[in-house]
Formats: sequence, structure tokens, C-alpha cells
Amino acid sequence: MIPRIESGIPEFDELTLSESGIGGIPENSSTLIYGPPKTGKSIFSYQFTYQGLSNDEPCLYITTDQGLNQLKNNMFDFQMPIEKYIEDKTLFIIDTTSNISEGMQTKTETIVSSDINNPTDIMVKVGSGVKYICKKYPRFRSVLDSSTTLLAYNDTMLILRVLKAYLMRVNGVGGTPIITYTENSADIMIETMLKSMVDNIIKLDGKTVIVEAMNGIGKRSAKYKIKDHGIIL
Amino acid sequence: MKKTHIPKLDDFLGGGIPEGSSILFCAVPGVECEAFGYQILNGIIEDGHKGFIFTNVSEPNDIIYEFSQYGWNLEKNLQEEKAFFVDGSSNFIGLPPTGKYSINELSQIEGIVLKAIDDVSNGVGVINNLSTLIDYLEEDKIIEILDKWNKRAKANNTILVYIFTKWGYEQKLINTIKNSVDSIVSLTSIEERVIIGQGFMVTSASWTKPQNNMVLFFVLQPGGVKIYIPKILVTGPYNAGKSSFVKSISKRSVSVERMALEKFPTTIAMDIGHVDHNGFVADIFGTPGQERFDLMLDVLSKEAVGAFIIVDSSAPQTFARAKEMINKTHAKAIPKIIVANKQDMLGALSPEQIREAMKLDKNIPIIPTTITENIGVEKALDALLKLLYGDTK
Repeated sequence: MIPRIESGIPEFDELTLSESGIGGIPENSSTLIYGPPKTGKSIFSYQFTYQGLSNDEPCLYITTDQGLNQLKNNMFDFQMPIEKYIEDKTLFIIDTTSNISEGMQTKTETIVSSDINNPTDIMVKVGSGVKYICKKYPRFRSVLDSSTTLLAYNDTMLILRVLKAYLMRVNGVGGTPIITYTENSADIMIETMLKSMVDNIIKLDGKTVIVEAMNGIGKRSAKYKIKDHGIIL
Repeated sequence: MKKTHIPKLDDFLGGGIPEGSSILFCAVPGVECEAFGYQILNGIIEDGHKGFIFTNVSEPNDIIYEFSQYGWNLEKNLQEEKAFFVDGSSNFIGLPPTGKYSINELSQIEGIVLKAIDDVSNGVGVINNLSTLIDYLEEDKIIEILDKWNKRAKANNTILVYIFTKWGYEQKLINTIKNSVDSIVSLTSIEERVIIGQGFMVTSASWTKPQNNMVLFFVLQPGGVKIYIPKILVTGPYNAGKSSFVKSISKRSVSVERMALEKFPTTIAMDIGHVDHNGFVADIFGTPGQERFDLMLDVLSKEAVGAFIIVDSSAPQTFARAKEMINKTHAKAIPKIIVANKQDMLGALSPEQIREAMKLDKNIPIIPTTITENIGVEKALDALLKLLYGDTK
């Protein structure tokens, strides 16, 4: 039996019910969420993160296309206030957007900055984030939203190497990582390689969520909508 | 010869880096490597020479900020024209470039860096980051460029410092890159699930036979690269032979012990020793074995990077206690060796029997020893060093 963790979207957990009667994201696996722009990939990540935090599972969140404040506001808009989790240090954020030299206001043990085109530094921060979290918690979640921005600002082969190192680092210590990617933002070969690196592939096309691959279940899909509280199926 | 201003590194390099030489800092992903380049640059400028930073990973303003976090005033050196940037970053992320030179397209990199090398003759240039260049340019091209830069640097007496992150490249490419520089410093990690320590060692230097030593470091803000003496823990049940083990691997050792009722000494606070083995230096902390001293375990085990778990092979009834001590000293999360002591005793279990009885993972080495006769002690030490430092040693 593969242990699953709640995705944060109850209907998604139902959709992914396996024979053993449990659904959700397989624990300690890696997941790619992809689809056209504005289809809810980030929102999926928010719900995944928030569900973990509410279950006392910390989250290592790497944000590459919105700064910390924007992330706070966006999650708040979907009624997922994260202030509390920032304070109790169960949410560890690597912010590659807010420019620290120009006065990123908050920098703490668990809010760290990096540069979008410095994968070496991002990986150092991932390493220290993972270490920080593992000291206290046996399991955790991680989100990288989004790989598209990394790919846009860096050479694609380099980023594939970086993503691989990231997934290995998080999976290696019992974490469950997800990566988001905007369809067609890089060439098709890169997309194929991205898909080959992960265990689960979920596509959001604006109308339908398609589980293209997931350990233990076949291909599944359902219609979805984005409401005040996030994605519902 | 110029000093690197990185503690211990100058000793390993026979005094420093000769003018005109190139040095490659080759890091495992996740290990802090940029500070090495910045610290060398800052030191050489403070010694009265000029320097530049080629960056394709952070904008100059972020680097200036980082320097200030280390306590180094790059801004002043920029104003006084002792330092300058070759900005290969800003244009690519849509920001206005700020360096003396900036790069608009990849084809300019080669020529502009050559110009920068000319500008800092008898100084230093830091290339951050070589791995990012490799992925942008063709592999053959990068080797060709490195050769040109290194030749020009030699002619100008400029030291070139390359920062390189070993992402998943072909070994052949890594070897070619290593062959094109004068010296290599490997930056590696000590891991047990997570990175628990970072170390550097000089793996080659064309001007000297480098000392084959590994040094652990951390990067402090302020302060930069600082080295520290790693701490190795020796733990295990009462009367398993911990103090004897500490004594036999250490050059000198001290034990806080008292005569127990049984008329032999028992450790009541700790053993402290210092090991110096094949260039590896560490402080050894032995814990007491008796449960009434368990309050010491937490204190003694803090920041340890490796552990020896000593068990009495002839006393399987103590194995549960050994496992309990592994938990209490947090030794689960660090590389460790089980030292199966008292192999000379009647009824001593073999390593495999111990593995089974203790339900130990097959990756944890179990070394049979008779500490009192110094049998297997060195083997245990070598086994832990191999776990800590992997193949670099």
C-alpha cells in the first residue's frame, strides 16, 4: 500500500482513490503540475501547502514568480492565511523575487532570499531549508512554483539538472515535492524530460484536471472550477 | 605568491597562489562555494591589488550587499576603482547593467573577460559561475575559452578563481575542465539524509604537492569562510569499552571518571580525545554509558558530525540500550560505525549476528574489534572517515 497525503482538494483525493481506498498524493513521491497559463497551477500549490500546514506538516516553498508579500496576499485571497505559519516557522520560504539589496523587509531564519538566475545559491538554500525542517519534523511538503520562471531566466539544461537535484534532495529525506510548469513555455523536449523526472503528472487545462500518471492508479480526470476557496472538482 | 585569505587553504597550497595561476572551486550542489571566491577577491584587494568579479548569477547590487553581510566593503573598493564588475547577469533578466563592463550577448563574454583580465594585471578575477557558462555555451567552446583566459591571465600575472557547481555533468567534461586549471579545491558535503557538514580539500596544485587534508568549514555572516574542528561522538552501553576506544584512537585524552563499586573506573561525565589520522583532525567526545548520566548525552552530542557506537559483542542483553543511546545522542541522523568490541571474549557475536540482533540497516558498517589489544581500532576509524568524506579522500 502506498501512503497518501491529502492534496488540499477533497474531491481530488476522491478522484485519486486507489484500490486500498485512500486517495491524495502518494507520500514521498514527486509531482509535476502543468497546463496553460492561468489554469490554477499555483492555486493547487497553495492548497497543497495549506493542507500540510494545517496538518502540522511543514512546507518548504520556493517562489520564483511572486515575492513573499504577493504570495501572502494571493493565498489570503483564497482564504488561506499563512501569517501564523510564517510566525511558528513551519513555512520555510525561499524568495527568489523580492530583491534583497533593494530592501526586502523580512529576512529571518525561515524566510530567505535568493536570485532567480543563481541556481547554486538556490540549492544552498534548499539544503539549509531541508536541514532546518528535518531537525523537527519527519515529514514535510515542498513546492517549487514555478519552474517556468527558472527556465525563462536560465539555460534549460542547467535548470533540468537543478530540478533533479532539488527533487532528490527533498525525496531523499522523506519530503513530498511538487513542481509547477506552464505548458509550451519551453520546447517540447524539455517538457518530456521534465515529465520523465517525476512520479506523478497532473494537468490542469482550465476545465479538466487530468491525472496523467500516478503510482497505483490509472489515468483519471474530472471537471474543475476555481472558486473563492480555491479549486473544486 | 598571493594569499587566499581562507584559513588553512594557504598552508595546503604551500603558501598561497602564484601570480598568473588559475584555481577552481568545485562544489557539490548545496555546498556554499561563492564565499570562497569573494573572500579571495576581498583579501587580495586589501593587500593592495586590483580585482574583478564576472557574474552571471547575481546582479552586482546583490553581490555588493552580500559582501556587506560578510563585513567587507566592496562598494568603497568599487568607488576607488580597485574592483569592478563584469555584469553578465542584469541584461539577461531585464535590468539595467551596473558594471564597468556588461554583457549583452553570450558571444561577448570571451572578449570582455579578456579585457577585464588585462585591467587587473597582478590582481585577481573571480568567475562566478562557471557551471552556468557551460550550459549556455557549447562544451568545446567553454574549454577553448578557459584556455584563452588562463593564458592571458598567466601573461598578466592575474589570478583567476573559478566557481563551479558540479550539477549532473558527464565525468569526461568535468575532467577536461579540471585539467585546464592549475589547481582544484573540492568542496564536499557530509551527509546523512541532510547536509550536516561542509568540507574542502585541495585535490591538485601544479606548483606544489598539496597536503591531502580535509577541513570542515562554515560560512559566517559576518566573517566569511571559517574552519572548525569536527566533533566525533563515542557512545554505547556501560562497560562496552568507550573510554578505552577514545584512548586508543587519540594522541592524548582525558577522562572524567571515578572508581565504581565494581572497582574499575567508570566514566561519569565524558572522555575527551583528539585524533589526527591521515591528515584528518577531530575532537572525540565519549559519553558515559550509565543511564543515570543520560542528561549528558544531549549536551555531548550537539553538532557532532559522526559517531562510533561501541557495543560489547559478548553481551547481547545490552544491545537494546545501545539502540536507545543512538536515539538519545541523535546519532540516527549522522554517519556512524558500530564498533563490535570484545571479540576476544567467549561467546562474542559476529558482526552479522549483531546486525541481526540490533536490526541495523545494512549500510551501517560493523567493525569487529578488541580494543584492549588495539585490534580493529584503526579499521573503525578508517571506516568512519570513508563514510564522512566518501571518495574524495
